[in-house]
Amino acid sequence: MSPDPSPAQRAEVLERRLHDHGHVDPEEISATVAAAESASGNTASPALGARVVARAWADEAFRARLLAEPVATLSEYVPQAIPIAVLENTPAVHHVVVCTLCSCYPSGLLGNPPAWYKSFEYRSRVVREPRAVLAEFGTEVGPGVELRVHDSTAEQRYLVLPLRPPGTDGWDEERLAGLVTRNSMVGTGHPLGPPATAG
Amino acid sequence: MWNDPAVDGAHDLGGMHGFGPVPIETDEPLFHEPWEGRVWAMVAAVRRGITIDRFRATIEQMPPAEYLTSSYYERWLWAAERLAAEQGLLERSAPPPESPLPSPATPAGSGRFAVGQRVRVRNAVTAGHTRVPRYLRRQVGAVQRVACAWPNPGESAATGRYGEPEVVYTVAFAGADLFGPGADHTVTADLAESDLEEER
Repeated sequence: MSPDPSPAQRAEVLERRLHDHGHVDPEEISATVAAAESASGNTASPALGARVVARAWADEAFRARLLAEPVATLSEYVPQAIPIAVLENTPAVHHVVVCTLCSCYPSGLLGNPPAWYKSFEYRSRVVREPRAVLAEFGTEVGPGVELRVHDSTAEQRYLVLPLRPPGTDGWDEERLAGLVTRNSMVGTGHPLGPPATAG
Repeated sequence: MWNDPAVDGAHDLGGMHGFGPVPIETDEPLFHEPWEGRVWAMVAAVRRGITIDRFRATIEQMPPAEYLTSSYYERWLWAAERLAAEQGLLERSAPPPESPLPSPATPAGSGRFAVGQRVRVRNAVTAGHTRVPRYLRRQVGAVQRVACAWPNPGESAATGRYGEPEVVYTVAFAGADLFGPGADHTVTADLAESDLEEER
């Protein structure tokens, strides 16, 4: 008996058969993968999310519009196909996003989720013991800060708007964007720079 | 395939014990093997003629032991193979008619429940696709906001087409109600009107 085919072999067979009938184009697949792997600040990627967050920190009118009309405002950067809401962290509330059932993520803004977001460990544990999970990311949230864990159980995506780090007065958007990490937009991290004083 | 209950499948992980530390990578490649990226891109083609809910529901049909021992893109590959066959994409060239996503700007309107109202999650256990995680069934929470309007996922998984939009609410639950007195956090979930009932 021959051993079971590997995933790579199965993927190759599937691609060949779909290509035989004109449902996929191998060159297009290569181009799509390459584009995802090299996404920059103008397409869905953490860099694009960082630009949005930095602008919200620097521009009060934009922040208000982002919170009130997130789909329309974010669609100015890249069209949003799925409803998306913005969760604003405050000194009293810290938001964290998960999808316990699969891997729903604001991909339309941030690109594909990282492996940890899709892991069984994160999906099972963050709704039950968020403080312990955040500690594994090296992220502390003070005992006086309410933790809100958002389980993405519907076609409603979330972007966390983290707290602007102190000591950044007068910084321009580009400099601020450099402090915005991908994890700070999912809630498992804080922005870089002077440690956030929340809590 | 729809004879197998998806409810309480291995995918329904929220609140489960026993999983270890979160695997946090330092280099974080988007794809760990070349075939993963190709499967990711191919899924767009096998999903074109159906709904995202049917794609998810297909993954949920994976036997639990296999689900828990497969990598993320192995689960995608498993579903892609089945969805390609199911739609006849491996035998013929005519692509299935597209099932376009509803507009994300669909007005949610006002539904049955008001913001602040206490609601209970229905204990509707059916053999089919649901977006109600088991850790929330029968729990009482408060409506925080109307999130959006979207076709019912159970229906769209079964038919492969998007139906009429239904009001979806963000409901907030006290962590202590879900996981005991040690839990001082809040959990919110986005639940369809048909998944909720008034709590008296």
